[in-house]
Amino acid sequence: MESYVTVSGLISQFLVGLSRAMILFIVSSGLSFILGVLRVPNVAHGSLYMIGAFVAHTLAMAAGGGAAGFWLALVLAPTAVALISLAAERLLFCHLYEREHLMLLLFTFALALILGDLTKITWGADYRSLVAPPFLQGSVMVLGTPFPRYNLFLLAVGPVVALGLWLFSNKTKVGKIARAAAVDREMVGAIGINVGRVFAFAFVLGCFLAGLGGALVSPTVSITLGMDHTIIIEAFLIVTIGGLGNMWGALAGSLIFGVSQSMGILLWPQFAIVFPYLAVVIILTLKPTGLLKSVW
Amino acid sequence: MKKERFFSVGQLLMWAGCLLAVVMPAAAEARDIKVGIVDTYSGPAAVFGNDALNGFKLAVNEINKQGVLGGKIVFTTRDEQFKVDIGLNVAKELVLKENVDVLVGTINSGASMAISEAVAKKEKIPFIVWTAKSENITGKAGHRYVFSTAENTAMAGKSAAVAFAKKPFKKFWIAGDDYEYGHAIADAIWRNLKKIKPEVEAIGRTWWKPGEPDLIPYLTAIQAAKPDCIIFATGGVSMANVLKAIKTTGMENKIPAWIHTATDHSVLKPLGMNAPEGVMGTIQYHYYYPETPANKKFVADFQAAYGNPPGFPAFNAYTTAQLIAGAYRKAGKIDKEKFIDAMEGLKVDTPVGKVEMRACDHQAVYPMFLGTTKISQEFGGAIAADIITLQGDEVMPTCEEIAEARKQK
Repeated sequence: MESYVTVSGLISQFLVGLSRAMILFIVSSGLSFILGVLRVPNVAHGSLYMIGAFVAHTLAMAAGGGAAGFWLALVLAPTAVALISLAAERLLFCHLYEREHLMLLLFTFALALILGDLTKITWGADYRSLVAPPFLQGSVMVLGTPFPRYNLFLLAVGPVVALGLWLFSNKTKVGKIARAAAVDREMVGAIGINVGRVFAFAFVLGCFLAGLGGALVSPTVSITLGMDHTIIIEAFLIVTIGGLGNMWGALAGSLIFGVSQSMGILLWPQFAIVFPYLAVVIILTLKPTGLLKSVW
Repeated sequence: MKKERFFSVGQLLMWAGCLLAVVMPAAAEARDIKVGIVDTYSGPAAVFGNDALNGFKLAVNEINKQGVLGGKIVFTTRDEQFKVDIGLNVAKELVLKENVDVLVGTINSGASMAISEAVAKKEKIPFIVWTAKSENITGKAGHRYVFSTAENTAMAGKSAAVAFAKKPFKKFWIAGDDYEYGHAIADAIWRNLKKIKPEVEAIGRTWWKPGEPDLIPYLTAIQAAKPDCIIFATGGVSMANVLKAIKTTGMENKIPAWIHTATDHSVLKPLGMNAPEGVMGTIQYHYYYPETPANKKFVADFQAAYGNPPGFPAFNAYTTAQLIAGAYRKAGKIDKEKFIDAMEGLKVDTPVGKVEMRACDHQAVYPMFLGTTKISQEFGGAIAADIITLQGDEVMPTCEEIAEARKQK
């Protein structure tokens, strides 16, 4: 079977893995951000990703299903998810930050179940599919191997999101406060900053990223119930191997997860499922706190 | 005078008593038939579970107008969540606590196998599998208490093998869901194809976890190996994802692909005009083919009741309900063993004609339709085109082969 593995095939598969990692990064950076700033292990993060995909589909269809609908959905679906999360934060989460982690875990787990059922009630069990704009459909030749255009687009979007997050957390005041709150929230409160508002902002931003991930992934998968389960497991693993609450850890974790999966598929397809999890086991054995510094 | 009247009252009571003695057992006999349904109603496979349930409901509503043995068919559902352990638990609960007369379901081949072995066989309760397609259910793991109204992997595999043998493909790649169904269908097609055309070669195999959302990395890797044809041993949401990935990776019309039930409208419809063309698929039911009056009526009734056309699970479940009603009517009483005897060899009317429950292995005999996806402006999406019909007896393992397989086990 190894005889079918060529250099161009390897490179193309590496790129596919990278593009998959971009989605994983966008979703898990949101999870990581919420974990870091709010100390909330948000199990419902995957549900927001799923809702992002469903909303994107609904919006795109409402706008006629064409290319314009896709771009509209890409902007508005994460915004809608952000609004949902804002309501959830103001009504529910803000009363719970002082509780212990187990309580928060149970609470967000319950929320994930509720959101899952609400999705089923709202959209039903039918599969949905969102189509990328025509110029992102099909494939182009990369080093003699066909490569999906949409994945090239993802490769471009990922770094933009990463750069945006870096600029936000390093160049804006609220970003700096959020980072400070992640390190020592009592101190931030003590110097007279409205921590509640910072928390709400951080939560909404994290959830926006979940929605963005859901909207971005839509053209590559079927939008179905249950897409929340897969992503939340992957996102938690990524955040864990990257270092809890560390944005760059989420990036490193996503790259390792995505690339080990795609390379595993090429090199040993019969056991491809194992590779990303094997990578997780190796990293956690060697460095139980994750690759980069955990903020916890 | 007084005495005479007293006597007549006693006489009346006596007659009434006699009458009751005659009527009472008959009244006790005329009870409802309880059907326990175990299927997936949450997660990605819910679309098939709901479709089957609607087909069953439609049939039961028709059947209950006449009634069965003076009673009705009533049913209760349980969500197995596409999990073997949950399916097993709820099946046990339906049998032991709800005292159902017959169990039906499920879409998960693993769960169906487990329920067949640990509940149907052990508790001696008839279990009719209606969507799960592993041939092992009525093949080597078959027994007196398990039936299947789903077309199985052996039938699908043989149909595809017959079709492939006529094509010039030599190098195949096999890819699919890493669980009972995926492996069963891959084995079935490969076994049959090797027999008909020994020179074929499987240049690689890929297995992903059932329900894997993003199949693009898998398809790009397979594409790089340049096989003549890809056999996808997948179903449900993974198949919807495969079809989408075929389009996204630009494999459409470049590398031929075959997937059992690729021509199912519940996976093609969401893709609309963007469904890939030229994907080969096998299925036992289309709502638009054959265009018989019986099928048209079934589709119209289904559409009116549930707002969308029936898929293959609805057809299977509809057939299941007809078999249950037919078997109880034939048996003449609600008795599990008599029900099984009546099921064997029973023929019922379905939207595609008479369907027989084969006596030797308890497998429903369906014709298989082999089609290729093609965009239709009229349907606003892809449908099966160039349909070839293969009769049930052409594609099913023979009774001797079943007996042999069961002996080996």
